[in-house]
Amino acid sequence: MQEILEVKDLSKTFKSKAGDVTAVDGVSFQARKGEVNVVVGPSGSGKTTLLYLIGSLESPDSGEIEVFGEDICHPGTDLIEYRRERVGFVFQFFNLITALTAMENVTLPMDLADVASSSEQQRRAVEILARMGIDKRLQKMRANKMSGGERQRVAIARALANDPDIILADEPTGNLDTATGKVVVDILVNLAREDNKCVVIVTHDESILDVADSSFHMTDGKLAGNDA
Amino acid sequence: MRTLKRGFRSFRRHPLSNLIVILLLFICLTFSLSMLAVKLAADSQTEEVKQRVGNYGEIRSSSSFQMAMFEQERGRSEAERSREARTMTEEEELEERTRTLVPEELTDDFSREPGIVTYDKVLSTGITVPDITNTELESILSLAKGQGQGDGMMGGVTANTFYFEGNTDGASASDFMLGSKVLIDGTFYTYADYLEANPVVLIEKYHAEDNELQVGDTVTALISGESGKDAEVELEIVGIYETVVAEGQAESGGFASFNPAGNKFFTPLSVVQELNNTPGYVELGSYYFDNVDYTAELQETFTNDYADEDRYEFVTDYTEYEVISDPLEKVGKTSVIGLVGALGACALIILLAMAIIIGGRTRELGVLKAIGATDRQVITQYAVEVICICLVSIILAMGATAIISQSIGDWLLTESEVTETQAEEEAGTPQAMVSRFMERNLYKEGGQFVLTESDTEEAELNVVYQGNLLLYGMLILVGISLLGMAVPVIWITRLRPARVLSME
Repeated sequence: MQEILEVKDLSKTFKSKAGDVTAVDGVSFQARKGEVNVVVGPSGSGKTTLLYLIGSLESPDSGEIEVFGEDICHPGTDLIEYRRERVGFVFQFFNLITALTAMENVTLPMDLADVASSSEQQRRAVEILARMGIDKRLQKMRANKMSGGERQRVAIARALANDPDIILADEPTGNLDTATGKVVVDILVNLAREDNKCVVIVTHDESILDVADSSFHMTDGKLAGNDA
Repeated sequence: MRTLKRGFRSFRRHPLSNLIVILLLFICLTFSLSMLAVKLAADSQTEEVKQRVGNYGEIRSSSSFQMAMFEQERGRSEAERSREARTMTEEEELEERTRTLVPEELTDDFSREPGIVTYDKVLSTGITVPDITNTELESILSLAKGQGQGDGMMGGVTANTFYFEGNTDGASASDFMLGSKVLIDGTFYTYADYLEANPVVLIEKYHAEDNELQVGDTVTALISGESGKDAEVELEIVGIYETVVAEGQAESGGFASFNPAGNKFFTPLSVVQELNNTPGYVELGSYYFDNVDYTAELQETFTNDYADEDRYEFVTDYTEYEVISDPLEKVGKTSVIGLVGALGACALIILLAMAIIIGGRTRELGVLKAIGATDRQVITQYAVEVICICLVSIILAMGATAIISQSIGDWLLTESEVTETQAEEEAGTPQAMVSRFMERNLYKEGGQFVLTESDTEEAELNVVYQGNLLLYGMLILVGISLLGMAVPVIWITRLRPARVLSME
């Protein structure tokens, strides 16, 4: 399978009054299309920081992140375009815009990227939401009126809006009950298997390891090894 | 375009919070705009008053000089005065006749001072016209004779005595300018008539009817102090006027408004000078300045260069200007304070409101950035929202301002006039009443025998919607919008989505 993401010797240190904290310390790994890559580790181990570095929400102190062979840490890289077209985020706390409906949340990334007409955006959003099991009634419902599972499925639909190659999921089941969490994990797995996406999940829930094509343990900012 | 639409949708999606901000802004903006409207109205009306009141002055023989002359005469006996009169040379006689007059040369020189825009000179006096009868005066004299007072003559005034007023142009005589008299037949005498001393005259309608006179007829007037054929001057009637505001019938009444000589004859100044036997002298020089700002300067110039040790005085209507302008200026100053305070409150409200709004939507900002929004897109979205809030507020405030600004203006004017009551109380004292009795009206106000309503003019404030209020409103809109935008700009550019999105 095609290798699309390669992280090389990535490090990130945060400065604080209590002293410097190295959240990511020389991490290297590869991820491929059609695979579910899981990073597990306890809270504070640096896995969320690693995910944000891959998603360009944080910039690394050193190291490289190559996506399709291009280093996104290079100063000339258009990170806005990268976030719009190459990656889709799924967060633990869903992070939907609560004043918007499910449909509007999904069309928003397309709108920001200025792709397609409004009607085309709507058509695509309906299609994605339907795949996520969000029916027409829920599509018109504001995000703050939905259940946790529904919100997370809308969040996944939003991540897929611009058809990115990489889905980055940060504790996607962390705020859901077991059954709902399983549904969400199944969706993410299907995205890898059926849509050939590169899915990277960071979690402390080791049960997700069962569906992983490759997995990593992270402790104190370091990847302990590839379990795949 | 999509970003603008998103901003507008965002504005509609938060009705409650936006409504609260709009309401607060509306209150402060209404107050600001009302104060601004009042300030603009007060300024504009002060400027208007500057062109109309306080920019008039007269040069005439000073009250103090006349009083000193009166005291001097009172100390001499009738015999002394007669003896002196018999021994007077012609020059001394002329000096005696012109003691309370002003040399034309002086008034002409002063007219060249900067700021003076119009100039006239006036001489009025009682003149005998033996061929016709002053019917008004005749009835008064008959009444006095019936009561045993005089023999049909009072203080040298007979039924053939008429009051003559002369200036340089008939149409600009104050009675005609004010509209208290109106020409109904013939024409006014002109500046050329004055220069050439043409013996022409305007007479009053009832005098003309009583004596069967019409335009084109002539009347004979006698030169004061002269006798024989040389003392007669044939005057051609060129115009007949009607009295609209009868002399002696002004609201205030009293001695100051009583004209013993009845209605006037108007002739060129040079003719009155000839009839009065006082060539080169006038009763007063009458001046309009460009605006009231020249008044103090001209007063100083007159005192330094023309007063001749207080023999002449320069009297202005500046006090009347102050009565009107002072409250308006106070209103203007108060409204500026109110305006600054209200605008400050507007600034505070928009800053706090935006800080609260943005603070409450920090996660939304983080999400927008995480899913690929540029700073510019997010800032524009919030800018549209701020502009919508400010625009709605200012439109509502404009409407409310139109309704309440007049009331606010009236209230401020009333507050400003409270201090005037003290001045009004002082005006009621005996000293003030004596002072008013001695005071002569300005020629501008219709001569000394006519009191017009302009004496009672008070400050009024008409707060009308001016075009520049709209302009200032737009500037305020831009100002508070920019201020409101500053919060999201700072917030958004400094926001790190990674931090925000990790928060529970």
